[in-house]
Amino acid sequence: MAEPVRRLCGDEPVNGAREPHFFGIRHLSPAGSYHLLALLDEVRPTAVLIEGPSDAGALASQLVARGVVPPVALLAYTAQLPVRTLLYPFAEYSPEYQALRWAARNGSEAEWIDLPTDVSLALNALRQDRSTEADLPNKSDDGVPASTEDTFEGLPGETNTGELQRDFYARIAELAGEPDFESYWERHFEHRLGHGAYRQSISRFSEEMRAWTAGEERRRAPHEAAYNEIREAFMRRKIRETLEGGHDPGRIVVLTGAYHTSALNASLPAMTDEELALLPRVPTKMTLMPYSYYKLSSHSGYGAGNAAPAYFELMWQCMRQRELDRLPALYLSSVAARLREAGTYRSTASVIEGVRLAGALSAMHDGEHPTWKDLRDAATILFGHGELSVVAEALARTDIGTAIGSLPEGVSQTPIQDDLNRELARLKLGKYKSLVAADLALDLRENRSVKSADSAFLDLNRSVLLHRLALLGIRFARKQHRRQTDATWAEHWVLQWSPEAEIEIVEATIKGETVELAAAYAIHEQLLACDNMADAARLIRQAGECGLPQVAGQAVAALQRLAVDAGSFAQIAQTQRELSVLMQYGSVRRIDTAPLLPILRQLFLRGCLMLLEAAGCNDDAATEMMSAMSAMNAVAQEHDTEVDEPLWLEQLKALAVRDDRNPRLSGYAFSILLERNEAGEETFSSEVARRLSPGMEVDLGAGWFEGLAMRNRYALLSRDYLWRHLDEYIGGLEPEPFKRSLVYLRRAFGAFEPREKAAIAELLGEIWGTGAEQSGEILQRPLDEEEKERLDELNEFDFGDL
Amino acid sequence: MGMAQKQDVLRLPAERLYAEELEALKEADREVKPAGWQLSPKSVLTFITGGQVGSTTIKPKYIGNKRLVEMAIATLLTDRALLLIGEPGTAKSWLSENLTAAIHGDSSKVIQGTAGTSEEHVRYSWNYAMLLAQGPSDQALIRSPIFRAMECGGIARFEEISRCASEVQDALISILSEKTIAIPELNREASAERGFSIIATANTRDRGVNEMSAALKRRFNIIVLPAPASLETEIDIVRRRVSEISSNYELRAAQPDDDTIRKVVTIFRELRSGTTLEGKEKVKPPTGVISTAEAISLLTGSMALAGSFGDGRISDEDVAAGLQGAIVKDEEKDRIAWKEYLENVMKKRGASWRSLYGACAEMNR
Repeated sequence: MAEPVRRLCGDEPVNGAREPHFFGIRHLSPAGSYHLLALLDEVRPTAVLIEGPSDAGALASQLVARGVVPPVALLAYTAQLPVRTLLYPFAEYSPEYQALRWAARNGSEAEWIDLPTDVSLALNALRQDRSTEADLPNKSDDGVPASTEDTFEGLPGETNTGELQRDFYARIAELAGEPDFESYWERHFEHRLGHGAYRQSISRFSEEMRAWTAGEERRRAPHEAAYNEIREAFMRRKIRETLEGGHDPGRIVVLTGAYHTSALNASLPAMTDEELALLPRVPTKMTLMPYSYYKLSSHSGYGAGNAAPAYFELMWQCMRQRELDRLPALYLSSVAARLREAGTYRSTASVIEGVRLAGALSAMHDGEHPTWKDLRDAATILFGHGELSVVAEALARTDIGTAIGSLPEGVSQTPIQDDLNRELARLKLGKYKSLVAADLALDLRENRSVKSADSAFLDLNRSVLLHRLALLGIRFARKQHRRQTDATWAEHWVLQWSPEAEIEIVEATIKGETVELAAAYAIHEQLLACDNMADAARLIRQAGECGLPQVAGQAVAALQRLAVDAGSFAQIAQTQRELSVLMQYGSVRRIDTAPLLPILRQLFLRGCLMLLEAAGCNDDAATEMMSAMSAMNAVAQEHDTEVDEPLWLEQLKALAVRDDRNPRLSGYAFSILLERNEAGEETFSSEVARRLSPGMEVDLGAGWFEGLAMRNRYALLSRDYLWRHLDEYIGGLEPEPFKRSLVYLRRAFGAFEPREKAAIAELLGEIWGTGAEQSGEILQRPLDEEEKERLDELNEFDFGDL
Repeated sequence: MGMAQKQDVLRLPAERLYAEELEALKEADREVKPAGWQLSPKSVLTFITGGQVGSTTIKPKYIGNKRLVEMAIATLLTDRALLLIGEPGTAKSWLSENLTAAIHGDSSKVIQGTAGTSEEHVRYSWNYAMLLAQGPSDQALIRSPIFRAMECGGIARFEEISRCASEVQDALISILSEKTIAIPELNREASAERGFSIIATANTRDRGVNEMSAALKRRFNIIVLPAPASLETEIDIVRRRVSEISSNYELRAAQPDDDTIRKVVTIFRELRSGTTLEGKEKVKPPTGVISTAEAISLLTGSMALAGSFGDGRISDEDVAAGLQGAIVKDEEKDRIAWKEYLENVMKKRGASWRSLYGACAEMNR
């Protein structure tokens, strides 16, 4: 490990000019940029060496091209599976970005000197395998940008060996009497604009920290320590190469995370050719992409300034105009303005008091300027009247902002962006790439009035593309829910382009070079993780919608595999429903649905055989069972020639008359039979008589009726003998069973609509001979207090003996 | 003042209770003191949050969020009035008294806000005998605590400001914005010396309070004091306050043991938040406020019971009586909520809770 090299820090003159100027920074530090520019203007280097992937030189020059607006990011990713990524975000105030800009302006050489991405991604893979048990803070779990490895680690502890250093930082904050480390940092580093102050103190700080933690790090996370040494040896090699290239050492500036500065001086050995050849490599690709402050702020495990990018940009602007004093007023006015926009009025007097309060808070810590935390607390007190919740949104808008970077046409377009643009042009969707939302109605059927196949299936192809984008999570197209009256060939979309969508499409590039490949990869990935039939069926459907027959085939195979293991009845029914829908509009989408039929048959058979057993469940499960039965029935009707429909009806009939299953399900089975005309009047009336006879257990009878009423009520209303039986049944009950049946019946009729209730009242009127209208009136009148009370008593009815 | 010599008073003001600490801080203070302050802001912070000065240990007076204390001191530094808001038992008055003692050295300029507080209490009134005999004169003027604080550049305290009628609250508006009190009868106005400020406290959740006007709120820097964040903090607060109060009042009973305090605080926290501590079970909260202050008075009450009628040790029956009184305020509903809590939560807590459960269930029959 490097001995602390005191010579590196400070503004002492470079003696004999044998050493380059080392400048350690914390990434995304405005003060770092400020002091760096001062140093560059002073030294006027011929070469600026920057910590960053050395194989990204071409992109470095694009980064400073005209028209590039930060925040932007450099994304590196492996060309093979599994995809691993590295992300280097740059804000306007990033020292690295300012260094590149300075070099371009002044005609100096700018070079990135860290390990090339093909090596660092290969090493990252090794590190991650090694340290899975250490549970890294930025371990990847959800998709692209979050899976990004650490790219910058300005200070020790911003490497991902975390915990030890975090404790140190908490201790430092406590000793300094600051509420947290960021406040300490801002007060003691970001606000110090004196000549050389930053460089000297950060260098000293990092050196001491490194001395403190290095031994412990090597013990706890040897692979992390080793990785750092490899990087530093490589950086020393690059520095040496630059020196050998003829640059005057006194006119070289080396810009790295402060953590590394003490390890870069020439007395330590540089990486040899043999060592370099030994490093593992994986093929990688790189691209620039627009980035957003929102992403910068939500990027976890990342260095300074990330929590409030917009605030730090404001700070940077103030610094450049040498007016850091104005920052509190600007910040708090901006918060007040946001509050006013949202309808909460706060006066300028409050802003003034806020600035004063923040100043007083800062003075209590001997600070020169209020920190972000001081300003936020002042805003909470003055604008929120003590409540953070009042100002939280305004603060977030001011801190994070909505800034999104942009890259000019032609700068580092990823293949997938090109592909998307080509596709949009081919499908005549180019005009929808606008910030204004637009509706798009699609008719998936073949248009027979046109000649070419492309235009005949234009809408179908459009639908395929939009489905692929939706699958990739690119917020360009939102599918609207179909109204039931619409046919399967109609789709309705709302299209709206946004800068976020641009970012998302670039991120999708790691999944594939084209939209099609990326979509196929995404489904494939989900398929690997898929462990139940319903999900597999959904994936088949999605693959179909995305026009990916090959992937659909894989999904079918996966479903087949999963279908062998028995699922629950509900799951089986749900899966069949998915398959059935797919088969129905398969022809519209030109999907080969033939391989699905055997699976559907198999599942249908299993569903039929499971019905009776599954129906022996409690009332909670019965609700799910009913929708599953309904789904099975729909499948049976739609594919009556393809599946064993008679078996289904047989099973339903068996269930309908069983007394030992859930009575609601028996009733429900009966209602399906009734609806399908499988139960004639005779069967029905005898079953009604049996169920509703005095000898029958009350819950068997009334529960059965409840299930019966869950489905087609018109089928019930049109059969007057049902009501006669019901009337006789209720009339013949003893008081105690009557109370119990009332609970079921009340629940059953509760779901009826007023119109239906009126019809029942009329029916009963006819049965009683009291005249339809009159009895309707009596039955429909609201309950009085006493009746209500007596019904409420029933709510506490004790079912203990059931 | 005669009071100053008396040591045997029921309760000593903070500046007397902690006179030694304040003296030590003054001694060691090398920082700049703002006009009218007897200590520098940093020493005030140390006085409130605790620390070490030379050989003197400064006891922490406000436990919990140090940053809030910083914000309160910074507010007073900017000549703004400070309003502390919080539920009962969040140490509003305690903080207000100690801040005043540390900054100004006299925490006795207090107005207690009640429904009967009138504008004269806020501004000034007259000694009517003298007024009739001599006409308006300085001698006949009876100055309010705020008036006196203005004259000497000190801090006046206004307790429970939201209990006062709105027009009385509004009398503060001109005082806070003009920093003067006009006395038309004497044809002059009294202006505030530098260092003058007001610390008010308010309880927003209680019943029978008046909404504060936006105009008045604007003239305060408002800090909301949170209920203690964790079980341990709350236990700590309760333990400290119970021991302070019991020594003040010379209750002849043993301090409640940690187990009892923990149980009471647990019950209070669960009822307050509506879930059990591990968050698994929902609990029906009672209608009233279940504050830390009530936990403290419950325990001191139990001590008084034990000392006067028992064997000097707090029994589960004493605690149960206290819990019943603190929780069941709105007779029927609270009684049911308390019963449900007893049956659903406490009964299942196992052997160490059984005897307290038994006592509570007996009491709540």
